[in-house]
Amino acid sequence: MDPKQPDPKKASLLRSTSLLLAIPSLLVISPLVGLFLGRFADRWFKTEPRLTYAGLALGFFAAIREIHLIIRRVKAEQESARRR
Amino acid sequence: MPQASMGLDFLARVRRTSLLAGLVAALIAGSSFTLLAGLGVAAGCAWCLFNLLALESLVAGLVGARLGREHSLRRMLVGSIGSLVLFALGALLLTQLPPAALMVGFLVPFAVLVLKAGSLLLLQSPLWRRITANPWQAAVLIASIAGASWFAANGMHGVLRAEAQAQHAESTEALAAPPAQAHATSDEPAAAAEAEHAEAEGPKMFDNALGMIIKANHGKPWANVLHHFEYVIYAMLVAVILSIIFIAAARNPQMVPGPLQNLVEAAVEAAYNFFVGILGPKYGPRFVPFLGTLFIYIWAMNFFGTIPLMHSPTANLNITVAMALTVFGYVQFTAFKELGFMGWLDHMAGSPRSAIGWALVPLMMPVHLIGELAKPISLSCRLFGNIFGEDMLLVGFATLGITALSSLHMPFGLPLQLPFMFLGVLITQPVQALVFTMLSTVYFLLMLPHGEHGHGHEGEAPHNAH
Repeated sequence: MDPKQPDPKKASLLRSTSLLLAIPSLLVISPLVGLFLGRFADRWFKTEPRLTYAGLALGFFAAIREIHLIIRRVKAEQESARRR
Repeated sequence: MPQASMGLDFLARVRRTSLLAGLVAALIAGSSFTLLAGLGVAAGCAWCLFNLLALESLVAGLVGARLGREHSLRRMLVGSIGSLVLFALGALLLTQLPPAALMVGFLVPFAVLVLKAGSLLLLQSPLWRRITANPWQAAVLIASIAGASWFAANGMHGVLRAEAQAQHAESTEALAAPPAQAHATSDEPAAAAEAEHAEAEGPKMFDNALGMIIKANHGKPWANVLHHFEYVIYAMLVAVILSIIFIAAARNPQMVPGPLQNLVEAAVEAAYNFFVGILGPKYGPRFVPFLGTLFIYIWAMNFFGTIPLMHSPTANLNITVAMALTVFGYVQFTAFKELGFMGWLDHMAGSPRSAIGWALVPLMMPVHLIGELAKPISLSCRLFGNIFGEDMLLVGFATLGITALSSLHMPFGLPLQLPFMFLGVLITQPVQALVFTMLSTVYFLLMLPHGEHGHGHEGEAPHNAH
C-alpha cells in the first residue's frame, strides 16, 4: 500500500483546526495546574497562601502564552496557505 | 431422503434457537440470582444440546448402517460413547452446580423443541390460515392474547404478593415485641454501614461480567485483586481483540483484498492521510503507527461499554491518565531526540533571543512547565469526563425507564437509554477518540521543529516546506 500525500490546502485546514481545538482545554487546565503546584509548594515550604496565588497567576500566564503561541501558528498556517 | 433431512434440519434449527435461548436464560439467572445459577443454566442447556447431538449421531449412524452407508459405524460409536461421557459429566455437574438451575437449562432445548413443533403445527393448520386471511382479525386475536396474558400475569403477581404478605404478617405476630425492638435497633448501624459502603463504592453503574464475578466472590483475596485490576483487564481484553483482528487482516494479504483486509487497509490509509496532513510529510509517517493505534484503541475502548456485560475502560481516570502520560513521555522523548538537550532547554525557556528574553527565563521556565503538564491532564480529564458522563447518562435513563413501568409490575422497563446509546456509538465515542488523538498530534506538532509544517519558527517569517 502506497498512500498518496494529502492535499496541502486540506492539510493546512486540518492543522489549523487541530491547533485551535487545543485552546479550550489548555485555557482551563493551565490555571488549575498552577494552582495545585502552588498549593503543593506552599505546604512544602509552609508559606501559605503566597505560592498558591503565585502558581495561579503563573497558570493564567501559561494559558495565555500557550494560546498566544497557538494563534500565531494558526495565523502563520493561514498565511502559508494563502501563498500557495 | 427428504423426510430424514427435514428432521435433521429441524433439529439443527432447534439447536441454534436453544443456544440463544440458553444464553439469554443463563445471563438472566446470573444477573438476577447468583453466578452459579447462571453457570448452572448454561451447563444444563449445553449438556442437553450435546446429548441431542449424540442421539442424532447415533440415529443417523443406525439409519446409515441400514442403508449401507460408509462411516455409519463410526457415527454410531461416537454417539454411544458421547452419551456415556455426557452421563458421567452430568453426574459431576449435579454435585458442583445448583440442580434447579441445571434442570432449567436442561429444559430449555425441550421447551424450544415443543414450541417450534407446536408453532409448525399451528402455522399449517386451517384455523391459522383462516385467522391470517384477514389482517384485522389477526391483530384483534394477538391483542386479545396479549391482554389475557397481561391480566393473568398481574393476577398471578397479586396472588404471590398476598401470600408473601400473609407469611410476613404471621412471622411478625410470632415474634415477641422486645426482640423485635432489639432487631430494629441492631438494623440501624447495619443500614448506615451499607449506605456508607454504597457511597464509598461511587455512583451506580451498569453491571459487568467482571463486576458480577467480584460480587459473587466478595471478600476473597483473588476477587480483591480482580477488583483492583478490573479496568486494566478490560483494557487488555480490548487490546487482545484488536490485535487478533489486525493480525488476521495482515497475515495473508491479497492483491484483491477480502472484506477484513479491505476494512483495515481503508482505516490505515485514512489514519495515514489524517496524521501526515497535520504533522507534515517529514514527521507524519513516523508517528502514524503510534497515533493510529491510539485512535483505534480508544475508539474500541469507548465502544466496549456499549456491549452488554462489558465496561468502557476509558470511564476510569487511571486508564486515561496512563494513556495521556504515554503521549506526554513520547512527546518529550521526541523533543529530546529532535532538538537535543540544549534545544529542549531553549524551548522550555521560551527561546530567549534578547536581554529581556533572558531576564524572563526564570518566569518562562515554570510557565512552560505548567503548560506542558497541563497537556496530559487536559487529555485525560476530557476523555474520562466524556465517557464516564455518557455511562452515567445511560444508567440514569435506564433507571428512568424501569421506574416508568414499575407501577405496572412489568418485568422490564422502557428502553429510554437506547437513543443515547446510538448517539454514543455514532458520535460521542468516535469523536472523543478523535479529539484525544488530534490533541496528541497537536502536542507533537507544537514540540517539533516548526519549519517542517509549512511555516517558520515563532516570530520568524513562515516558509513553505511542502
